[in-house]
Amino acid sequence: MAVNPKKLRPYDQPPRIREPIVPSQPDAAATTYLVAAVLWFGVATALGALWATQQIFPGPLSLKTELPTFRGTLTFEISPATVSGGFWTALVYGWLTNAGLGAILFITPRLLGRRLIWEKIATGSAAALNVGLMAGLAFVYLPQIAAKGTLAEFPLPIDGVILLALFMANVVFWRTLLAAGQLVPYISLWFFGLALLASMGLYFLDSAFPLIGPSDTALALANGAYVRGVETLWVTGVAIGTLYYLIPRATGNPLYSAGIAYLGWVSWAGLSTLSMLGALADTSVPFVITQLGNAATLMLVAPAFLAVANLALSIRGRWSMILSPGTVPLAVVALAFFTASALLESIGSLNSVRGLVGRTEWVTGVQLFAYFGMATFAFLAMADHAFPRLLRRDWRETILADVALWATFAGTAVAGLALIGGGIDAIAGTMRWFLGGAAAGIGLIGLGALAEVVNLFFIYTSAPRVEYSVRDEVVVPTGEAAAGAAGQ
Amino acid sequence: MTVHTPIQSANRRIPGWAMGFTLAVVVAGGAYFGTNLSGHNPPIGGPPPSAGPPDAHMVIAKAGCMACHGPDLTGQVGPNLHHVKDGPTSANLKQLGTDHPDDWANIWIAGTDPAVSDPAMRMGMPAFAAPPYKLTPEEIASVVAYLKTLP
Repeated sequence: MAVNPKKLRPYDQPPRIREPIVPSQPDAAATTYLVAAVLWFGVATALGALWATQQIFPGPLSLKTELPTFRGTLTFEISPATVSGGFWTALVYGWLTNAGLGAILFITPRLLGRRLIWEKIATGSAAALNVGLMAGLAFVYLPQIAAKGTLAEFPLPIDGVILLALFMANVVFWRTLLAAGQLVPYISLWFFGLALLASMGLYFLDSAFPLIGPSDTALALANGAYVRGVETLWVTGVAIGTLYYLIPRATGNPLYSAGIAYLGWVSWAGLSTLSMLGALADTSVPFVITQLGNAATLMLVAPAFLAVANLALSIRGRWSMILSPGTVPLAVVALAFFTASALLESIGSLNSVRGLVGRTEWVTGVQLFAYFGMATFAFLAMADHAFPRLLRRDWRETILADVALWATFAGTAVAGLALIGGGIDAIAGTMRWFLGGAAAGIGLIGLGALAEVVNLFFIYTSAPRVEYSVRDEVVVPTGEAAAGAAGQ
Repeated sequence: MTVHTPIQSANRRIPGWAMGFTLAVVVAGGAYFGTNLSGHNPPIGGPPPSAGPPDAHMVIAKAGCMACHGPDLTGQVGPNLHHVKDGPTSANLKQLGTDHPDDWANIWIAGTDPAVSDPAMRMGMPAFAAPPYKLTPEEIASVVAYLKTLP
């Protein structure tokens, strides 16, 4: 047989292994999403600190310049309005959405006992989402192109890319769930399923609505309802589903009651959908519709309490775990913030309270409690549990975990309370102190984000490789660590 | 090998306290909804529903008047705002008060004093404040009405 000289290799050169462009090994998608989420966490907190500081010193921290393009000049603007859009975009779409999708793709195969079907599509959705978000975030600072809202409206092509990513994630989840054939899946999957459908549906409606040429009022109302839906259906739904997996898993206890969990899911699904109507506050909207939404927001305290009580009772006998750094204390802090934000949202839905603080920083402070408090700590707990397993590293908790927990907790409490206090207290002279407190608080959260990024870096670069054994919960060392252990 | 970590639950029933709490919240929410149907929504971005005319204290507080006129509006860097019901107390506003005896304060706060020929100098109150801290006509009227009640 003739020899092809091109296929000859030196005997000591290993054969080339062609890596696929889109990885397809197990948990590739979850790893991509969670790593991206941690990086976005840092970006979001940096933008948040800038936004809060700009409320105090808008002039020195603003910039406006003209950029020449082949189609004329574009205004590049760094102002409180654009930075606000960038902050909320990076926080909700960057950090929380990436972390939520990562949590879903990590937990789903483990609950179903089978690999994700079409893992490549899931990994591709991670790439599409983050490419779209980076482009969208750049356009936020070009106000002639991107509309301004609490969650900035991206140009249509970017909306299409992000919508495609959400659709791909939905396809993978539902295909895997249906293939597993479980009659009554675990409660986490119920939350994930509705949250995924809601995120895709809401994003589609919010992107498509401007195309029919509505009035500015209708656009503003739709954006308000969309923001409310993202908070209650998407972010809160995924966070609760994540906690329902993490707490029993981390403590080794069974869930206290599946009945409470399903009752909470039913009430959450209905009331969260109705609560979006509370954002439709305008003279063109019948008051009864707005009031229905407010009443639903008031009643959201029920599913919140059911979830918190169910999970707290699931920790019984293992409360000492919150005294050491790890998944459980992060999850417990998430439950505490969930209780606080649910109570504050309910109080804020009352007519008399809305009249006082409805258009003040009080609302922003409560949103910070929900986003930076409950959801962030749920996903930090997820990251703490998942990263050593995804990266196959033996990693014990270090001071970085303490820094991440306490800095984020203190920062969220300070920032949220500062904005809530600023909304209640109308003395303009001291408003700067409240805004300064918010800036300091978000800066602290940024410190926690930095600690998390550094923690992830050390996990990947410094920790020895291991394979986790599920049955015995024993870390089986491999390689040098195994040789060292064998020699002892 | 696929990692399988199913979560068991200790029981599937709904405890009585959970059902009772949920029902109580639903009943309370329904009662709140049923008893608060009369009302109206403000225009989006407008004042909160419970406000009729803008509250002067809130306007004064948010606009930062006390930073210049003192915590009790008796003067600091800015002049004393008491006694304005009798007319302007500052010398530079005397002519304005003579020309517009009923609404001199409104004109001055709004920054539309015709005697100030340079439009760039018509800053209005609060001074040195960039938008959106300029007051609306309704807020100005509310503040002036309040100032005229001061002894």
